[in-house]
Amino acid sequence: MSPFSDTAPIPIHPRARSVGSRLLGGPTERSWPPASTDRRTRADLSPLRFPHTILRGDGRITVFRSDQNGLGARHLGIGMSISGGCIALFLLLRLIIQVDPTHLPVLSILAWAILLATAVTVNLRVHKLASRMPPWLFLAALGACAIVVALDLAGTWGAAGAAPFATAAPAVGAFLLSIVTLRETGEITLATGALGLTMVAVTGLQSRDDLLTLGPDILSISLAVAPPLIGASIVQAFRRMVQRELDLVLVQSTVSQPRFAVGMLASEQLARLDLDAETLLDDVAQGRTALPLAASTATTAASLATRLRQHLIAGRTETWLHHALTESEFLGPVVMLRDPAGLAGLLSPPQRDGLLLTIWLLIGDTARAGASVSLSLGPIAPTHGAGAPRALRFPIELTTTGVARRRVDPETWQAIRAVGPHVDSNPGGSLRVDIECSVDNPADA
Amino acid sequence: MQRILKERDRLLRRAAQAAGLTGSATTLACVLVPGGLDADARLWAAALTAIMAAGQYLLGSTGALRWAVVIVLSGTAIILIVGFTSHPGVPPNLIEESVIGLVGTAPICAVAAVLITTARRILFLVASFVFTFSCVAVATGAAPDRLVLLVLTVSIWLAFTIASWWIAQSVPRVMHRISAIGRAHRAERHASELEAQRRQDARLLHDTVLATLTLLAHSGVGVSPIAMQKQAGDDARLLRQLRLGGLPTPYRSGDYSLQPATVLTLGDTLDAVRQRFERMGLTVNWHGSGQVQLSSNVLDAFLLALSECLENVRRHSGVDRADVTITDDDTTVRAMVTDTGVGFDLGRVGSERLGVAESIIARLRDVGGNARLFSSPGAGTTVVLEVPK
Repeated sequence: MSPFSDTAPIPIHPRARSVGSRLLGGPTERSWPPASTDRRTRADLSPLRFPHTILRGDGRITVFRSDQNGLGARHLGIGMSISGGCIALFLLLRLIIQVDPTHLPVLSILAWAILLATAVTVNLRVHKLASRMPPWLFLAALGACAIVVALDLAGTWGAAGAAPFATAAPAVGAFLLSIVTLRETGEITLATGALGLTMVAVTGLQSRDDLLTLGPDILSISLAVAPPLIGASIVQAFRRMVQRELDLVLVQSTVSQPRFAVGMLASEQLARLDLDAETLLDDVAQGRTALPLAASTATTAASLATRLRQHLIAGRTETWLHHALTESEFLGPVVMLRDPAGLAGLLSPPQRDGLLLTIWLLIGDTARAGASVSLSLGPIAPTHGAGAPRALRFPIELTTTGVARRRVDPETWQAIRAVGPHVDSNPGGSLRVDIECSVDNPADA
Repeated sequence: MQRILKERDRLLRRAAQAAGLTGSATTLACVLVPGGLDADARLWAAALTAIMAAGQYLLGSTGALRWAVVIVLSGTAIILIVGFTSHPGVPPNLIEESVIGLVGTAPICAVAAVLITTARRILFLVASFVFTFSCVAVATGAAPDRLVLLVLTVSIWLAFTIASWWIAQSVPRVMHRISAIGRAHRAERHASELEAQRRQDARLLHDTVLATLTLLAHSGVGVSPIAMQKQAGDDARLLRQLRLGGLPTPYRSGDYSLQPATVLTLGDTLDAVRQRFERMGLTVNWHGSGQVQLSSNVLDAFLLALSECLENVRRHSGVDRADVTITDDDTTVRAMVTDTGVGFDLGRVGSERLGVAESIIARLRDVGGNARLFSSPGAGTTVVLEVPK
């Protein structure tokens, strides 16, 4: 019997029990509220550990927003803080070098003191809050930064060239760099923009005899603005990478599925329906619900029966590829699948991995709007005694829009080769690949 | 591993591109300030900045070492041109100092992001830094702010190199965590699919539950409340067992076994169906073969169809007994459900009942079977269900 046959006996895995009881609250809990179809949202049915991965749209974004430091960003944040520290150190040295012992720049020193105090306080707070920066803390920090900028620019106000250079105000940029992983990049960019505009405005308002004095001001402004902007762009790319990779590994778990399977969401829903039915029947048995039933309870029973019936026949024609595409946030909207015979289910795990990675690389690497992939599997080629007698052959036709052949990652070809021998062409400027797939005949296995 | 390095390099290239192009833009702004540089020097500096920006863009998209060389050479060339040819003989003015300070930092040190990956590249990075630093030192020989410029160069190189190195460390770390999540998720999916499979395997249990739910959907009319409560209690108990991890299969003795059921013998399961209808006041007489093995999904469809037929007899025929005859040959299993009840006119079947019949027939056809219905008013009803073996 083929390992991917849906009728193969499947041993009861000990985990299956734990999932069920964890999901349903254990054997002691019995009186769950009866099924109410109208109140149930997708979020109620979310799987346990990775709610953001399965629910497209409503779950995922908020999870990432509320947990900016969830994956790797904390480590990255330390690097950004050290980097910002180096820049701040330079600015401090510059203040010390330019300081005139007879005429202390009191306001600038005060600004520096406030900035350092803010940096230390924010750091300790964030550490205490498990690497999170709540909005109030961010706003408070921004307020302190505004004071720093005001004090420093007031302290260095004067005729250009004659007055000392601002140092604490550009150091605010370094501070923004150090918190870039703690907030949305858009917020950091906005704050940086405000800082830059303030400095540009002050530079423009200063009386200037000589245009040459613009040089140090340009240097100061770029020192203030460039680091947080570059940092924000890096962090944004980092977050996007993490999100894509997460999506990929979660979807890759489908390659070990049997030929036909129910998706993760469906199995949770089936468990939920069983529980609702159990509660309803138990209520009837114990006399908590009077017979004959009220119309509303009868309707509930009818809808439960209907949905239970649907779920029991579900999953007989849906393959791993179908689940992978529906569960993926990135692939779902742009990949079209036509596989009426469920042939994707016949592919071996390496072939599946190759096919998934191929689609992934084609969509992910182009990173452009408008790129889409359409997959068509089958029909099964007639065998004329040629080739391996036990093999089943069928074509996979992969057509794309907006994917130029020369932009395709070399790794893609390697992934396609894992699926089978292929011929590629470039009609209309977009890639098309015809793969000749050969799989073990499930009837012979 | 290869993927991880690829993602890391992609991120580092992006960092190099962002830092380099930002630096080049500010450099150009500074170069173009009127009166700052000597006309020839300004032309050269602007041209070299353009070359440097092109190098930064290409370094960002390819990561090739030659573009890093182009950036370092064109950047240091700007420093030397501004330092020595702009206004030779006099100390550099503020604009010249700023241009040197700007070029020596972000635009050139951007190469650090792509040079921290291998030992050979790190060597090249150190050489680039030393070269740039010396050029700044030489070009600002007589400048009043020489110290500030040298400290600036060191600080920014340090800051950007540390940031790049840290990014390079972060990516593999996060990738390993992601793949750990992937492994956990695979186990989760496996467990969840086993769970779904286990529940789908409990098809007989679900059949009786569905039948009871259907009864309840008709408010339990036509069945005595005691029988209804007992049936509901039995089903609730079975569902609870299923939830707690067992796979209850009703048996003729009334016990339940905990075993996976993928290929079932028709006889045992038919008996459970009979018992259920008995309890609800319909006596079912079985005739014919009971020891037919059917694969799970065929049996599933067959039993569901049979149950629905009997349910129709119970509700609409007006009699309290029905006969079921099971026959089989080499290819087909056939069930004939007959009653001697009121019957009905096939041409005037109510739409709601037709809906049920359609779902039954469709389901049998899914597994390659068929159903046929014979009836007329006053002459009872006969349904023939066929499924392939």
